[in-house]
Amino acid sequence: MYKKILFYSFLVLSMLVLAACGNDSSNEDKSPSEDEASGEDEVNLYTSRHYDIDGELYKQFEEETGVKVNVIEGSADELIERMKREGEQTADLFYTADAGRLHRAKEQELLQSVDSDVLNENIPEKLTDADKQWFGLTKRARVIVYHKDRVDPSELSTYENLADSKWEDRILIRSSENIYNQSLLASFIELDGRDEAKAWAEGVVDNMAREPQGGDRDQAKGVAAGVGDIAVMNTYYLGGMLNSDDKEEVKVAKQLGVFFPNQDTTGTHVNVSGIGVTKHAENKENAVKLVEFLSSEDVQKQFASANYEYPVNPNVEPAQTLKKWGDFKEQDINLSILGENNPEAVKIFNEVNWK
Amino acid sequence: MRSNLNTWTVLSILFVVLILLPSLSIILQFSAETNENWDHIKEYMLDTYIVNSVILILFVGFFSAIIGSSLAWLISAYDFPLRGFFQWGLILPLAIPPYIGAYTYHGILNYTGVIQTTLRNQWDVTVNQQYFNIMNMPGAIFIFLIFLFPYVFTITKAFLARQSTSLVENARILGTSSWRIYFKIVLPIARASIVAGVSLVILEVLNDYGVVKYYGIKTFTTAIFQTWFGLGDLGSAIKLSGTLMLLILGLIILERILRGRKRFSFTTTKVTLLQPVKLKGSSKWLAFSYCMFVFTIAFIIPFTQLVYWAFLTYNQGFSTEFLRVIGNTVFVAFAAAAMITIMAVVIGNISRLNRGLIAKVFPKVTILGYSIPGAVIAVGIVSLFISIDEVIYQWGWASSYILSTSIVMLIFAYIVRYLAVAYNSIESGFERIGIHFTEASRMLGNNVTKSFFKVDVKLIRGAIFGGFILAFIDILKELPLTLILRPFNFETLATNAFNYATNEMIQQAAIPSILIICISALSIYFFHYVLERE
Repeated sequence: MYKKILFYSFLVLSMLVLAACGNDSSNEDKSPSEDEASGEDEVNLYTSRHYDIDGELYKQFEEETGVKVNVIEGSADELIERMKREGEQTADLFYTADAGRLHRAKEQELLQSVDSDVLNENIPEKLTDADKQWFGLTKRARVIVYHKDRVDPSELSTYENLADSKWEDRILIRSSENIYNQSLLASFIELDGRDEAKAWAEGVVDNMAREPQGGDRDQAKGVAAGVGDIAVMNTYYLGGMLNSDDKEEVKVAKQLGVFFPNQDTTGTHVNVSGIGVTKHAENKENAVKLVEFLSSEDVQKQFASANYEYPVNPNVEPAQTLKKWGDFKEQDINLSILGENNPEAVKIFNEVNWK
Repeated sequence: MRSNLNTWTVLSILFVVLILLPSLSIILQFSAETNENWDHIKEYMLDTYIVNSVILILFVGFFSAIIGSSLAWLISAYDFPLRGFFQWGLILPLAIPPYIGAYTYHGILNYTGVIQTTLRNQWDVTVNQQYFNIMNMPGAIFIFLIFLFPYVFTITKAFLARQSTSLVENARILGTSSWRIYFKIVLPIARASIVAGVSLVILEVLNDYGVVKYYGIKTFTTAIFQTWFGLGDLGSAIKLSGTLMLLILGLIILERILRGRKRFSFTTTKVTLLQPVKLKGSSKWLAFSYCMFVFTIAFIIPFTQLVYWAFLTYNQGFSTEFLRVIGNTVFVAFAAAAMITIMAVVIGNISRLNRGLIAKVFPKVTILGYSIPGAVIAVGIVSLFISIDEVIYQWGWASSYILSTSIVMLIFAYIVRYLAVAYNSIESGFERIGIHFTEASRMLGNNVTKSFFKVDVKLIRGAIFGGFILAFIDILKELPLTLILRPFNFETLATNAFNYATNEMIQQAAIPSILIICISALSIYFFHYVLERE
């Protein structure tokens, strides 16, 4: 009798799980396992971006084309790891917020080349992989922000200059675990060589006003609070703060000025959010369609205004907030370099004890 | 009777093998050759990371033992204002994911937070940032402590309420002071429960990535992620995970050795509930204030801040999509927690009745999954499921991969990861009742299964429910596994909150966070109510 109870409870539980899968595919009718066999009107997307605007754009795409967008979000590296293991049965698209990671996906042979006139026209070559395996969709500049009262912008010049002793105890920047910092250093390894890049990192560590902590917004707040005078951060965070629901954040952002470094030398460091069609994509056609859609003028405009990122499409103007900061000269390197130099950058950070 | 015991044994062996599979893939890679990255890690990273991790677990472990057990003792043995509420209210901090708590406290204390803003705008006072900085080692210890101590509290309270009765009441009759009872009786007899609670706390701390990453503290977990993602070297990352696993197993074995052969179980014929003594005068208010203080900083303050943020953003954060997210979350958490509980009971029962190898090995296996960072387990599980899928595919049973794109994989991952949580609670329940009742029942002619349902289940009901709740809440909050293993378009409240938080949009993360907290709070209350009424 009791033995039976024991077994029935297992039975019930295993049914529960089975029901769960059944449930999942029946009432949502978009379980990939089911649809891969039957329909073509879908595209499977792995993304590390998680902005509300992205979801809204996928919905627009669905309405316009009737192609359903299936999404899995996760960190870029975890998704790469997952794609590697999934082999032939994987996502159709890989979308992430750093060129270094896109390059890593390419290196692991997870992506394929795409030849599309629309994309060639909408996206500048510099922001695209040399073999057309991935395409940039939004740009973000990593700039220096300064306190308007305490720093005269004429004191600022280049990233390299941040290692100068005049900035001792004045710089705020987040931890070396952050991919934006890794890509920044990776670009210096390319432009200045490993030794100089390391010397720079060492110098910045010496000049830090406090040990790295928090995110980009926290660096901005630190400058406003007087912990330091300048901070290194991505532009769209400042855009977000200027347009925040929290009026204290707006106040902080208003005290800060934006400086685009290296205008007379190598240019300001720029990274992209980009997307690539996977090597084994079963819905390649839909995948390309989605990428083309995301690069179109109308969509680029929405990207730019909702997220304060710079559009890649040269025909689209940046959001009003960004326009006030003016135009700037960008680093002139192929963004794949960021991925190639990433492990070296991580090692340098560890060697100079950049927390 | 023999065959009956065998059924239990077979089932538990089956479970243990299942649990072992993903860990096995990691153990196999552990012995792989070292490379230059490994040398780099050893030279520049390992020392700091080990030191930081040890500092964290020592402090958090020690203080959570003190706070958790003292609260459990107060509430089991005394009656004072709001005691009934604190009984379950003090479990509530567990409903707040530590990383959300970390963001919230930072949000309160930082330059644009409510404290500094009020000081600036109302009184024109600008403070030294240094005194308001929580993003450091003491800050992280504080965060882990206030959001994790309920593990110790719950498990110890379940033990004290039912098991300490005769000893405590005899001591009371002999006129022993309550401090003396606490130090001389409660702490020693409840040691197994306290240790069980503390070990959960320590494992959570070692596994955390959100808090330490945001607060900029380099620990073992950050090293694993840095190696895997920064250096792109999964092999070395797995080596680090393996080292962490060994470290944890070492800790557990050490604890068992220290505990020695002492098994506290009592042979009184009936389990009586400890009768709380009514406190009077100042001691009444002292007890109340202590509980209230802990409850305020561990729940009211962060929760109020989240509610405020939710008010700022409710018009953009809420949609009907949300109902589905809530449904998803509750469903997976419930299904997985139910299975975990059953498996924990089966394994716990067989380890208790079997004095041989099984009793030694099985409990340790249950903790394996808990000792590996979620993201690393996820990789082990994906590999496992894809190889199963390949077999199914090749044999023509399905036209595409079935298991690895389904929710089964996610639920399985939860089981591997959180079996330890329910197991610890249930094991300490079993330890409390010992095997005398079962032996008596067996002597009266009942077999193992019958004894289990007639006698054991009734005695450890609290521990079983406790285990279920802890697992359920943990799964509600779970992140790395859910992020990487969920099927397409499957969002949970935790992934939703996390996405906002990582984008530094903590205000928008408030609504999903509040929902996680409310669902956990309801389940805590519900189970508590059911238990109390019985």
